[in-house]
Amino acid sequence: MFDRRLVNNFDWILLAILIFIGLLSVFNLYSATHSIGSMGGSHVYIKQICWYAIGFFILLLMTTFDYHVLDRLAYPLFFISLIFLLVVLRFGKVTYGSQRWLSLGYFSIQPSEMVKISIIIVLAKYFSNSERTGNYRLRDLTKPLILIAIPFVMIVYQPDLGTALVLLIVSISIVIFVNVNWKSIAIFLSLSFLSAPFFWITLQEYQKKRIITFLRPDLDPLGAAYHVTQSKIAIGSGLLWGKGFLKGTQTRLHFLPQQHTDFSFSVLAEEWGFVGSAVILLVYLFLILWCLNIAKSSKDKFGTLIVVGVAALVFWHLIINVSMVIGLLPVVGIPLVLFSYGGSSVISTMAAMGLVMNISMRRFMFQE
Amino acid sequence: MKIKDKKWIRIRIYITGICFFLAFCVIFLRAYQLQILEGSQLSSLAKRGYTGKLTLISQRGTIFDRNGKELALSIQVDSLCCYPKEVKNKTTAATRLASALNLDKRDVLKKLHSSRSFAWIKRKVTPEEINKVRGLNITGIDFIKESRRYYPCMETGAHVIGFASQDNKGLEGIELEYNRYLEGQEKRFSRIHDALGRSLIFNGPRIERQDPFNLILTLDKDISYKARKALMKAVRRSRARSGVCIVMRPQTGEILAMAVAPEFNPNIFWKYQPYEWRNRAITDCFEPGSTQKTFLLAGALEEGVVSPETVLNCEKGKYAIGSFIIHDSRPYGMLKVSEIIKFSSNIGAIKIGQRLGAERFNYYLKRFGFGEQTGIDFPGERKGILRPIRNMSLVGKSTLYFGQGISVSPLQLAMAFGAIANGGHLMRPYIVKSIVDQKGKAIRNFYPSIRRDVISPETAERVRRVLEGVVRKDGTAPEAAIKKYSVAGKTGTAQKVDPIKKTYSNKKFVAIFGGFTPSDSPALVILVALDEPKGIPYGGVVAAPVFSDVGYWTLNHLNIAPSFQPETSLSASKARTLRKNRHDASHPGKEKIIALRPDFPGSMPNLIGLGVRDVLKKAKQLGLRVVIKGSGMVVKQVPEAGAPLTKDRSLTVIFRPPV
Repeated sequence: MFDRRLVNNFDWILLAILIFIGLLSVFNLYSATHSIGSMGGSHVYIKQICWYAIGFFILLLMTTFDYHVLDRLAYPLFFISLIFLLVVLRFGKVTYGSQRWLSLGYFSIQPSEMVKISIIIVLAKYFSNSERTGNYRLRDLTKPLILIAIPFVMIVYQPDLGTALVLLIVSISIVIFVNVNWKSIAIFLSLSFLSAPFFWITLQEYQKKRIITFLRPDLDPLGAAYHVTQSKIAIGSGLLWGKGFLKGTQTRLHFLPQQHTDFSFSVLAEEWGFVGSAVILLVYLFLILWCLNIAKSSKDKFGTLIVVGVAALVFWHLIINVSMVIGLLPVVGIPLVLFSYGGSSVISTMAAMGLVMNISMRRFMFQE
Repeated sequence: MKIKDKKWIRIRIYITGICFFLAFCVIFLRAYQLQILEGSQLSSLAKRGYTGKLTLISQRGTIFDRNGKELALSIQVDSLCCYPKEVKNKTTAATRLASALNLDKRDVLKKLHSSRSFAWIKRKVTPEEINKVRGLNITGIDFIKESRRYYPCMETGAHVIGFASQDNKGLEGIELEYNRYLEGQEKRFSRIHDALGRSLIFNGPRIERQDPFNLILTLDKDISYKARKALMKAVRRSRARSGVCIVMRPQTGEILAMAVAPEFNPNIFWKYQPYEWRNRAITDCFEPGSTQKTFLLAGALEEGVVSPETVLNCEKGKYAIGSFIIHDSRPYGMLKVSEIIKFSSNIGAIKIGQRLGAERFNYYLKRFGFGEQTGIDFPGERKGILRPIRNMSLVGKSTLYFGQGISVSPLQLAMAFGAIANGGHLMRPYIVKSIVDQKGKAIRNFYPSIRRDVISPETAERVRRVLEGVVRKDGTAPEAAIKKYSVAGKTGTAQKVDPIKKTYSNKKFVAIFGGFTPSDSPALVILVALDEPKGIPYGGVVAAPVFSDVGYWTLNHLNIAPSFQPETSLSASKARTLRKNRHDASHPGKEKIIALRPDFPGSMPNLIGLGVRDVLKKAKQLGLRVVIKGSGMVVKQVPEAGAPLTKDRSLTVIFRPPV
């Protein structure tokens, strides 16, 4: 079953990048939750190591089959993840006022993470099977748009606006990637602009507040703008070389909220300074460009589209999270994939990376 | 895949890569802006976030009387505070604390639910309460040593000393006026704290710290006590609304006592109304009534328009000024000027006034300090009202001669009597003698100062002779006389203006007696005023006994020799030399300062009433090993004072916070 060429073509570089990011993440979490006092969460980094171990196992698992199997499994997988979403809406655990988690005894999973990947596969299947080469008109996009809309609405309903937005943006990235019809893009963009006021009405009070304080952070520095203000202070006080490992005052003294999840980048930036943030950003940039390289050399459109989708997923997570942390975007609860703490996020991202590696390994194999 | 497809995808990927790269550049630039360009500003913001200052209130300076007795001192006591975030199960904690400390449960609960990181629960608690609270074993509450102001003399001198708040800020009286000196600088610590405000690291005291200064007053605690007791007795007996008794040294202007009724206890000042805190001797004004005739006489004698022997017609008790008829309490015919003063004839006063003239009288009133502040070192002094003569009607001018249509403060009146007593010098009154540092070195002394010379010493002497008549058996104030000492003074019974009818009341009076003793070399000026006495309102009946009582006691207290009883056989010159010698003897500089607590060498000292600091100081001098129990002031010591010092030299001292 195993072809020797598979081993020869194993993408060691991708694996190395992932291991490097994993190590950075664990070290950073160790620092973020290492506190002078006894304020909980001190074993978070050990948990993260476990998640990474499982993640790498799944990554290897994802390379064992030919990804063309997914061409057939795309819709079943998509529906299974939708069912999970339904279950979470019905039985999910409520944390921070929203129902995102499905409790499975010792740990909880976040079905929305599964949906992100399955929608990439579904869209890749749809566009690779289509006979058209770009230039889709809007009416050709009816089916993919419906496919995107179903999970989007369900996740908004949880409510988990951040994840829903990422889902939407990643999906649209794929659509834009395959489509060159500028007219459709123009129509789509104008439609979304027109729907913006309606969208504003449906927002929760706290979400409106976040957007307002993003525009005017001086209005409520201890309330809604607290997160961003503290994050900016933490990052800025890192200066060029940072305060050093375990020396970040803002993290240590609990000024910085959510320091191990959404704001983990701030911890790194505070302790390692501009140099540290530049290094981590370059690593991510390299990861994304490497993925695009794999996409480019993939032998078929299906593989290309999956890899492009995964690259877009990583890219948008990174851009939105870092922009939020450095005050370029309003606060949206989106983790920095692979870097922030989070089991579901690590495992689903590693699975996606497994797919990328799968495609990378099989780029020289002929199909059909 | 078709070749065309492949090329198409490749172009797409390049475009995507470029887009991603550009987005990264934006993030990079932003990180550069935050960490390099704005970095120093943000890092100072961070520093400000986690560093803070902790201030500890230092002790307040002590206020001593002129003999070194404490009038106000600071002692260390415990206060109960809480860190609301650390208190678990707030409702039960509040219930228990409330019952242990006798507080309102809702108040305590509110404090425990406070969003702040620190709140006081009860300031200045007793040792019993400390034990009770310790027994409750509640987490998140703590005791902090605080300094508390204590006034050992209670009501005595309270209106002069004033009081300080729980936060050690002077609020009234000398405590307020000299707050700057008494306060001392706060101790400051810089510290590092976390987001919840919990302290982590102290960097040690970092302050320009300054010890507070102590004050030595001109006040005499014992005289103040006597004045207070005598005044309160008179106030109770006459059921007066309020009263004032000032004891002053005429030669210097030093205030020895300033008793005010109603009184208050500064240790629990918050239980009294603000009007009870007021030092009425300085802040309240009334019409001086007949006491005014003293200054009329002084002016008239100084100008030479009359002599004490001049005889004037007192019109049989009825005298018309325009359409207005002036009455005397008794009808008098022809009276000598000295008799007019002695019997306090209003018509006689008008007759003297007519000779002096309203303009010149007004001038003398101004010279005696009416209508202007005395310049005493006390907050809130009133200057009274002295209206210009040219706007006055004929009746107004006439009644001014016997003290209507003018308002004066008791202190102004006392100072004016002082000018008669000391030979014509109007002195500036003062309460603080010197400001000393903790080692006892004076950093500032206050000396007597003459505001101006009002009348000649000869005139003053003649006025004194006339005023001596007032306390004779047939005068208006025989009750002011003091056994073995000569007294000079003047009564006043001023009608109060009815605020509604705008006319003089027939029921409401101010009874006044102002005078000095011994009259031939005055050592004391005493002014007594009682507001709205019930029953007989005359100053000679209501106020004069207080003068006599306080005067007699004080003269003895100050070891002032009894007056020489003038006898006809003694020549005037001899009498004068005698007087002169006596004057020297009673000079304030030579006063004997009574030792506070005489301790016998080789025996245990008396520590009762001392604070911790003083006990430790004394113990160190004697090489005693002290066991301290409780906080506050010494209430008990084992062995007792006077016991011989044993070999082991141990001493147990029990402290208790004063109530």
